[in-house]
Amino acid sequence: MRWATRRHCHVDRAACAWPIRRFLDPEAEFIFVDDPEEVPGDATAFDVRGAELSHHGGDCSFETFLRRYELADPVLWELAKIVHEADLADERYDAPEAPGLDVLLRGLSMVRDDDELLALAGPLFDGLYEYRKRALLLGREPA
Amino acid sequence: MPRPRTTWVLLAYRLPREPSTPRSTLWRKLRRLGAALVLDGLAALPLDARNREQLEWLADEVIEARGEATIWIGELASARQERELAARMAEAVADDYAAVIAEAAAAAADATGQRRRTLARLRRELRRIRARDYFPPPERELAQRAVDELAVLVEEPVG
Repeated sequence: MRWATRRHCHVDRAACAWPIRRFLDPEAEFIFVDDPEEVPGDATAFDVRGAELSHHGGDCSFETFLRRYELADPVLWELAKIVHEADLADERYDAPEAPGLDVLLRGLSMVRDDDELLALAGPLFDGLYEYRKRALLLGREPA
Repeated sequence: MPRPRTTWVLLAYRLPREPSTPRSTLWRKLRRLGAALVLDGLAALPLDARNREQLEWLADEVIEARGEATIWIGELASARQERELAARMAEAVADDYAAVIAEAAAAAADATGQRRRTLARLRRELRRIRARDYFPPPERELAQRAVDELAVLVEEPVG
């Protein structure tokens, strides 16, 4: 399947690409556009103004994604809090990891193109998922 | 030498009078971004990729709340009016910095534990203010110094 999003990806788009590749569509092909009107007819748009898989009701696109595909895994929702705060910093959630994640991905986007950024962000979100999963099982931060 | 001119990203919006929640949510988010309210229904920020994106999401929120919103990119025709707008924005963050300075000074009299908690809170607050500070006033450095001094006080062994 083809998936389209805005060029110069940051945290929300990188976060959305991760469950697409991991859970929904391992063969996913990503297209990057400058304007919502450039999204090809056969591609699913995400984190693009006016798209279904975008910001809604104060949620970031990653949260919309989890809702739309009914990904109810509580660990994913822990990640969603971090992504939301890294993207919007509106203090809806307490997510101390968020400023760090924001800087890491912003920095990566300065030295890598969008395809590479999404590829590199994959293992980063894998690790974040594993960490939050262990934290949830332990009831404290894992060492 | 004249200051380089700023390119702005602007959100023009109109929201229904009721319900009032979307309006107060929008105001809170605009304030957090450090946007200047040029007129009722017209908010401005210096143009960069992040500010443009944040205003675009707010425009979508306005539309979802049955309002109207458009995003504009533009320049002020008058250099004087631009200086005044920048000064108004600097003044708003200067007040926020001044509050940090006052709290840091007051914390010097507190017990060590309380002082440590205040330090952590003021550091977070300072980060938040700096994120919306586009035309830094002198208070920025003063606030940083006040918090650094409080940090030294916290690290000092109790004697």
